[in-house]
Amino acid sequence: MDVYEKLKVLADSAKFDVSCTSSGVARRNNGRVGSAVDAGVCHTWTADGRCVSLLKVLFSNDCCYDCQYCVNRRTADCVRATFEPDELAGLTIEFYRRNYIEGLFLSSAVIRSPDGTAEKILECLRTLRKKYGFAGYIHAKILPQVSPELIYAIGLEADRLSINAEFPTMKGFRLLTPQKDPQNVFEPMRQITNQLIEHKALKGPGLMFKGQDLNNADNYLSASSPQIRTIRRNIDAKIAEKSAADEILSGDAVKTKKPETSRDLIRTEEPVQTGYTAVGSRRNRKEIFAPAGQSTQMIIGAAGETDRQVLAATEKIYRTFKMKRVYFSAYVPVVSSPLLPDVFSAPPLGREHRLYQADWLLRFYGFDADEIVGEDHPFLDMDLDPKISWALRNMQIFPIEVNTATMDELLRIPGVGNLSALRIVRQRKYKSVTYEDLKKIGVVLKRAKHFLTCSGKFYGDRRMDPEVIRGDVLQMKDGEQMSMFSSGRTGAPELQDGAETGPRIRIANPSSRINIRKEAATK
Amino acid sequence: MTDYLYDGTFEGLLTCIYEHYYSGRADGIFRQDEYQRSLLCDCCVVETNPVKARKVYEAIECKISPFDLRRMYRAFRSCVEGRETMILKYAVLGFRVGSRISSLHGEQAVYDVQQAENKVATEIDKFRGIVRFSVLGDGEKKIYYAPVEPDNDMIEFIAEHFSNRFRDQAFVIHDLKRAKAVISARGEWYISDFEKEKLPPLDPDEEKFRELWRLYFDTIAIRERTNPKCQAHFLPKRYRNYLTEMNDTGR
Ligand code: SF4
Repeated sequence: MDVYEKLKVLADSAKFDVSCTSSGVARRNNGRVGSAVDAGVCHTWTADGRCVSLLKVLFSNDCCYDCQYCVNRRTADCVRATFEPDELAGLTIEFYRRNYIEGLFLSSAVIRSPDGTAEKILECLRTLRKKYGFAGYIHAKILPQVSPELIYAIGLEADRLSINAEFPTMKGFRLLTPQKDPQNVFEPMRQITNQLIEHKALKGPGLMFKGQDLNNADNYLSASSPQIRTIRRNIDAKIAEKSAADEILSGDAVKTKKPETSRDLIRTEEPVQTGYTAVGSRRNRKEIFAPAGQSTQMIIGAAGETDRQVLAATEKIYRTFKMKRVYFSAYVPVVSSPLLPDVFSAPPLGREHRLYQADWLLRFYGFDADEIVGEDHPFLDMDLDPKISWALRNMQIFPIEVNTATMDELLRIPGVGNLSALRIVRQRKYKSVTYEDLKKIGVVLKRAKHFLTCSGKFYGDRRMDPEVIRGDVLQMKDGEQMSMFSSGRTGAPELQDGAETGPRIRIANPSSRINIRKEAATK
Repeated sequence: MTDYLYDGTFEGLLTCIYEHYYSGRADGIFRQDEYQRSLLCDCCVVETNPVKARKVYEAIECKISPFDLRRMYRAFRSCVEGRETMILKYAVLGFRVGSRISSLHGEQAVYDVQQAENKVATEIDKFRGIVRFSVLGDGEKKIYYAPVEPDNDMIEFIAEHFSNRFRDQAFVIHDLKRAKAVISARGEWYISDFEKEKLPPLDPDEEKFRELWRLYFDTIAIRERTNPKCQAHFLPKRYRNYLTEMNDTGR
């Protein structure tokens, strides 16, 4: 098989993977070729409007597992292909040098065994780094059941690691992916989080842990920490009726945010207990482990889960593993199975879009999953974005006075984004903010006017009736709401760029010296 | 009413700002070669003066801030009409209020310059991604060549990014609209006038990798989700002329 055919087969098999950003780490060229940009770079957009950043392929699609929803499952009748490590590394470099891509996203089917596959992946990444001197971005997917030593070694080559959480509920797991045990998914996530703490590199998602240093004992996840213990317990109780109530997969919002006794969780003296800590303890101080952190993805719409279950699992993953990002992938029916949605059903794109908006509220706006989707409303409103839906359910806290509100309060106003909230706070240090100013600041007034006052004056609908406002927003939003729908997978325009690092806010920093003299002189 | 006319350089614009303070108020600043005379306005041509320009440059840097100097320079490189006058107004306000100018978002002068700067910033982000190099020349000496047609005069702002990233390859990013190019090798770069004529032919392997890239690009689109409107939102037609994946031929 030549490289054309392999590329066709192995790119085709990887295309449903959604986590393709190249963000999370900034690095100047420390090899022969390559660098990384913190906010990530999109290189092109496919016909379905998704950003292409990395060369995203499977190393092999020759799988020995049999997951129901997957085109590559053992029992499927399809063309099988496997790259040679050097072949793929060479292709990556050629693409990279022409600026087609920002780096490599490498995943794989399980060729014969998870470790055997991981070794091949490691070989490929090492070739890329060492032989070709590649200093660009690498995202490596970790297969369930790969040994800790290999995860560690791959983490030394890759910028980001991810393990698919696959399903937000236990039911999904049990039904659709018989050979994967959720424990094998969460255990490596735990290892990666701990390894990041050891390398003082755990940053957490968005602004969720802003201002906190996560790299301390409190966040170390021992196999016996409460979170993990509950996961265990629930997994052991798999056979029991109520087993779907696993800590992560239970669908309840987060209750425990911290282990009770942090001290118990660190094993200072005994590094041999688990293989990887032993590897870790021998590490060189300057070693860099997965500097862009960890992410995961869940399939939406294949196992009958509610949005509440999805967001509760997402929030718990953020709070427990502190990973950078949870991706959602609207299930595209590729396989006909009695267990799965019909092959003719449309992928739930609208739902995926609203989930991304909700995820954004979790990471950047200080919302809890419980506020967004409660027990009495387990699904997101398809017509309105989750922030305004929340506001309409909580009219009692509005209107908010922009000239005195805290940053957190400002962020709760529909139509006010991170950047505009920051601008409001900055301007009012010198000059109070008027209604006219808000527009220039970037606030979407058509929406925001119902929820704020400027120096005591209110500009919205006096009745403050949720139904009236809802009608008003839906009506005038017609165009915009729809276009938000169609404009891409992560949704609202603000969600597009730097979807991980947050809106790129340019702030005056008088101490930064800029060299425009050189720039000016070159003309 | 008096308009000042300048030669199109940043120094020229700074000189105009100088004259605004020392020889009389300017109501607008325009490029001499693009100026449309009107009956209502007087105009005078301001000769670029490096000493005066430097004074203004340093005054902005110290009395306003380096951030604002950078902002004004970027706005100057934008394609926004009337940018010179906007920059003048920004400078005037800046000299009055100092470094807090960038926090006064309600001011029209601030808003205008910020918008112009934003245009450039957006295009910088975009072009980090959509520049496409082709390998030219055979044998030892290879050149990576990329033609571009940005809206704003911005290639200098992406030069450092590419020159660091592709430190070990000699490359040219050619702005066809403005007949100039970033020329870089060994991690260093400069801007120069540039003509396409001097270029060597395509590397024999080049077509193969283009073909592979197109194959990849076409393969990963998910048919069930096709959405050309969304694609065009991120990748407007005017940016597609030199994208390998959207074209079968041409450099
Ligand atoms: S292990 Fe991965 S590739 Fe193999 S069948 Fe399951 S989902 Fe598909």
